[in-house]
Amino acid sequence: MSVEPFPDRPRVDAHEKVRGAAIYAADVALPGLLHAMLVPATIAKGRVTAVPVEAALQVPGVVRVLTATDFPPPVQPAGAGGPPPPPPMITPEIAYRGQPFAIVLAETLEAAIEGAEAIRPDYAPDLAFTPLIDSPGHRREPVEPITAGDAADAMTRAVTRHSAEYVSPAQHHNPIEMLSTTAFWADGVLTVHEGTQSTSGTKGAVGRNLRLEPDQLVVKSPQIGGGFGQKGTPQRQSAIVAHAAMLTGRPVKLVLPRGQIFHNASFRPRSRHRIEIGADATGKMIAVRYDADHQQSRSGQFPPAEYLEAAPQMYGFTDYHGTAANVRIDTQSPGYMRAPHPHPSCFAFESAVDELALMLEQDPVAFRLRHEATIDPIHNRPHSSNHLHSCLREGARRFGWDRRTAAPGSMTLPDGTLVGWGVASGAYPVHIHPNIATLTVRADGTTRFAAAAHEMGQGIRSTIEQVLVRELDIDPTRLELAIGDTSAAAQHTTAGSWGTGSVVPAALEAASRMKAALAELLGDRQVGGNLHRQLARVKRPSLSVEVTRIPYGQGQKELATFQQGGMALAGPFFPAFTTFSFIAHFVEVHVEPRTRRVRVPRVVSVADCGRVVSPRTAASQVRGGVTWAISAALREVTEVDPRYGGWLNNDLADYVVAVNADIGEIDVSFIDEPDPVVNALGVKGLGEVAMVGCAAAVANGIHHATGRRLREMPFRIETLL
Amino acid sequence: MRAFSYARPETPAAAIEAFVAAGSGARYIAGGTTLYDLMKLRVEQPTHLIDVTAIRGLDEIATDGDMLRFGALAPMSAVAADRTLQRDYPVLVEALSKAASQQLRNMATVGGNLLQRTRCLYFRNGAGSASTANVYPCNKREPGAGCAAQDGIDRGQAVLGQSAACNAVSPGDWPVALVAMDAQLELLGPEGARTIPVAELYRPPGDTPHLEFTLQPAEIVTGIAVPATRAGRHSTYHKIRDRESYAFALASAAVALELDGDIVRRAHVALGGVATQPWRAAAAEQALLGQRVTPDIANAAGRAALQGARAGHHNGFKIELGARTVADAILIAAARNPA
Repeated sequence: MSVEPFPDRPRVDAHEKVRGAAIYAADVALPGLLHAMLVPATIAKGRVTAVPVEAALQVPGVVRVLTATDFPPPVQPAGAGGPPPPPPMITPEIAYRGQPFAIVLAETLEAAIEGAEAIRPDYAPDLAFTPLIDSPGHRREPVEPITAGDAADAMTRAVTRHSAEYVSPAQHHNPIEMLSTTAFWADGVLTVHEGTQSTSGTKGAVGRNLRLEPDQLVVKSPQIGGGFGQKGTPQRQSAIVAHAAMLTGRPVKLVLPRGQIFHNASFRPRSRHRIEIGADATGKMIAVRYDADHQQSRSGQFPPAEYLEAAPQMYGFTDYHGTAANVRIDTQSPGYMRAPHPHPSCFAFESAVDELALMLEQDPVAFRLRHEATIDPIHNRPHSSNHLHSCLREGARRFGWDRRTAAPGSMTLPDGTLVGWGVASGAYPVHIHPNIATLTVRADGTTRFAAAAHEMGQGIRSTIEQVLVRELDIDPTRLELAIGDTSAAAQHTTAGSWGTGSVVPAALEAASRMKAALAELLGDRQVGGNLHRQLARVKRPSLSVEVTRIPYGQGQKELATFQQGGMALAGPFFPAFTTFSFIAHFVEVHVEPRTRRVRVPRVVSVADCGRVVSPRTAASQVRGGVTWAISAALREVTEVDPRYGGWLNNDLADYVVAVNADIGEIDVSFIDEPDPVVNALGVKGLGEVAMVGCAAAVANGIHHATGRRLREMPFRIETLL
Repeated sequence: MRAFSYARPETPAAAIEAFVAAGSGARYIAGGTTLYDLMKLRVEQPTHLIDVTAIRGLDEIATDGDMLRFGALAPMSAVAADRTLQRDYPVLVEALSKAASQQLRNMATVGGNLLQRTRCLYFRNGAGSASTANVYPCNKREPGAGCAAQDGIDRGQAVLGQSAACNAVSPGDWPVALVAMDAQLELLGPEGARTIPVAELYRPPGDTPHLEFTLQPAEIVTGIAVPATRAGRHSTYHKIRDRESYAFALASAAVALELDGDIVRRAHVALGGVATQPWRAAAAEQALLGQRVTPDIANAAGRAALQGARAGHHNGFKIELGARTVADAILIAAARNPA
């Protein structure tokens, strides 16, 4: 197996994307298409008691309005251990502001919108709703603690203790590609086009809601214009649109307006992190207590315990006590958003580590380097690889950390601008998913590789091509990568940075088998040319191989789960080792002397993600993660007016994401050491860890510049005035 | 989206005639960068759109006389690219080029920009459009309905000029610079042509926040005239916002200084982002007269500019930020084009 470093190669879809030629799910053109618009509830909680549809039907072009009575009843929860029920379709019970209670179908998008706006339902509002985690009516629900050693006892031995609470706000995804579903029913098969990271999940949710058999459903997700977890779990609108297509016998397309996306899609919940770290007389961290809670819906599943996972993997302390809780209120369900748990938790923990280093009068890089983790203390197993210290050393070298003066406010520019240099680390769990891939090379010059994976811009097609083209003499311009399509191969949810590590080993093995199959086919014949020409010379139209990859620690049971449409993740806690990706970020902040604007002219990030398969898209992933972290730390927050519930700044103008002018130089590099055991290529995972810890580096830099410790994101201009 | 009629007359007279004939549901439209947006949000529901962009001769830019003159239909980007303005009036150029995005500035006109409506979230996102999920009372949209912003998330709301009925911020940058520079507005209506100071275009909200402008029915903006002044050489439009581009001001300041050596002989100071209308700060100007510009003087002028400001629940920082923004702008302006 080849684990040599990979060369730089252009992104396979760069030209298509730059020319606007890439086809996204909502771009599919279908004859006879009906346009749809959901009608959002304008109460925070309660019940829709009547939906008069006459006014909508009078709008020219409106064909039909579907309300709760047109939909099958919601799927009941499967009970303990079973899968969570799919998102309900349309019900009269309203759990959150913006929940759809009707769908309008029309010949044009304009008519669908006008029809939707013409509907004025009767409500029985429940005025005792709970809008915020500290509002009356919230319900705190602790989950199982995560523990190593005896943190309470170890804390009594600590001579230096730091304790503080850190807060990460509610934040929303704002990709350019809106959530959409296009569905049609033909010849007994429902086909759904949707921008999703989980064609299998959409298939399962639609199938269960509409009581369809697996062979009656195909889901296709050709490209995704921003996944990051918003499109990783079943989307509220999918089955609603699919049902509308089945009822009308016509293709139906729905593109959610951004305000409805804010109210119905996954978002990063507000979370609070109370951290206590104790150090012994030698200045070593010996005990950590971590208590996290987050905003949760009444029935949501997004797990709070994962906030507790990263911290004990980073610094080698063995006494740890982590507790976590859901705080249930009246909102839509929160969920995954880039680096979902480690971004807020490493903001908190890495801020706390910085505070402790300052209490101990130690340089924050040197302090971290005095703590090396080689084992996972929770499970008492070795890390399969951990190059965090290399990341810190290399980052410090590239950044010029040795020129830093320690005292806050000691580095300034001639105009009085305060300069701050901050550092922080990040860790993200490594998961691997089974895959079943088929590779076909044809004499006509084409090649097709089909497997479980979704292209959301992270460059997964580029990583697959990188491996196939290196291993096989095939024509890369005629290589079809059939992914994100349930009719091409069994699919999983591509998320959590497991995409590349779960597909490129399959591509590598498929290439190896292809070479063997071709050798067998050719026997003693000496045939020249590339694989296509070799097949043509021996008059063989095509050659196919199939590969099944099961991650370490899994077996036929997990494979069967995957084949039946379920998820079968392995890791990060494998039977004999634990695997995390790591990163170190170094950030320079400038704080203006009078208006106190914070700018970030320069970031150096060094990642340990195992072997880098596609250097160009990998560097892009890190730049994107750093950009998002700066945006999250300084700008992004979704506001709730508690009198109304829902989200106030629910548009792209008022939910402030960073723009180009906010981002300076981002210097990205990789350790590029293959993990020795986690998979055949030594790939760990990158897209998530890229963001982790960077927000803390910003906060630590602001402290270095100003002496002000900021513990609640975002740090907007008023914070430092 | 409701159906509406659309006309594209080729003369000002024909436009005014079409507007009068269409009655109360009529709206003029030029670049459309605000009106279409508000139509999608259901804040505006015109029945007749009268597109004025086919009218010839209203897009001229003349910067060589005693008055700088901008035809109302000149695109913001074209005025911002004028070489004379870039050299002699950075306050005007920066007010334009720090607004919106290049694409929007290519569409938006310098006349239409004066009539941009507030970005108050409760005003924009509470009219019951399918693209949002909220319905909020708003006296500006519906007189007498109440104001959701007063006791709401008022971080972006005004600290100067607000009334019990409305605390919505006047969102523009360009109007702030024009008000600072004593610009005049040329109007044409059914009763003929008239000229008013740009500052008099704006009405305080009082108890009629739905009445935002002093335009008469069917009146159109034909041009903007700015008195030429050497103060333009020592000027800036300083804009502080939640990100460095493509955002409205949290606080902004237009400052132009007529300097005699390093002594201020005349000062122009106006504020944006903090008030219900473009806010001329006479007290700040007074504080600068006869003074040498120092950080202390600039700070004092900044504080004077925010005299009378009142904080709501979450926007108190704007008082301090506004003062510091003015102070920064004074120092930037004074440092421009040193003699």
